[in-house]
Amino acid sequence: MSRDLVCREVVELINGYLDGSLPADVRAAVEAHLAGCDGCTMVLEEFRQTIAMTGMLTEEQVASAQRDILLAAFRGWATA
Amino acid sequence: MELVDGLTPSMRRVARMFVSSDAVADEVVQEAWVGVLKGLAGYEGRASLRTWIFRILVNIAKGRGQREARSVPFATLAGDDLDAPTFDAAAFDHSGGWSTLPFDWRGMPDERVTGRETLAVIGRAIASLPPMQAHVIRLRDVLGWSSDEVRNALDLTDTNQRVLLHRARAKVRAAVEEHLRSVSA
Repeated sequence: MSRDLVCREVVELINGYLDGSLPADVRAAVEAHLAGCDGCTMVLEEFRQTIAMTGMLTEEQVASAQRDILLAAFRGWATA
Repeated sequence: MELVDGLTPSMRRVARMFVSSDAVADEVVQEAWVGVLKGLAGYEGRASLRTWIFRILVNIAKGRGQREARSVPFATLAGDDLDAPTFDAAAFDHSGGWSTLPFDWRGMPDERVTGRETLAVIGRAIASLPPMQAHVIRLRDVLGWSSDEVRNALDLTDTNQRVLLHRARAKVRAAVEEHLRSVSA
């Protein structure tokens, strides 16, 4: 990749970076940017932590959240 | 038997993505296991057993879904926000650098950040995603499947899988940010 990346571009590449799915040159450009950018480094850490927390959920918790949302929607619908 | 018990709940969920009811999904899963047993002799071990089983399952589920004439357009399942930026345009200046940084929660105590409330926020955020985004993040980040396994199970291209996951994670991160900002105030 011949040019430097800007923050707006880097944030779109962060999940590819975390998953190791970026081509080598793009990955290197992301790393070069992160080395000099506190804001993007923070966002990277926030994504990493969000993914780790998502992994702490059980499928049952997600399924029950889905039920709650449906029930709330039905209640709103019934009282509308 | 352990394999059957272990995989059946995920198979039911994946099947349910293609068909209209839990009952039909159960039939698809049963039919898939029959297919697996019939095909086992010809299984060449090129794909992992799980990947192979899910491929059989998805083929059957798709066939059933088509017969049910439940052809939901991909855009409906995937969500119409796949091109949306991860952060609002106003977060960046004209040159593409940050003008307003997202909330920085790194200084907050760990037990606060990763507490039950935050996990509940994540659960609700996932439950509110368009169906295919929710499926991808559940399989990848909740159940820990690899991107290849998810691609095969949901019959997605590599690019679609990546875009769906990125959108899903972006929205979950944003929900976490909003929650932590509100409790830190």
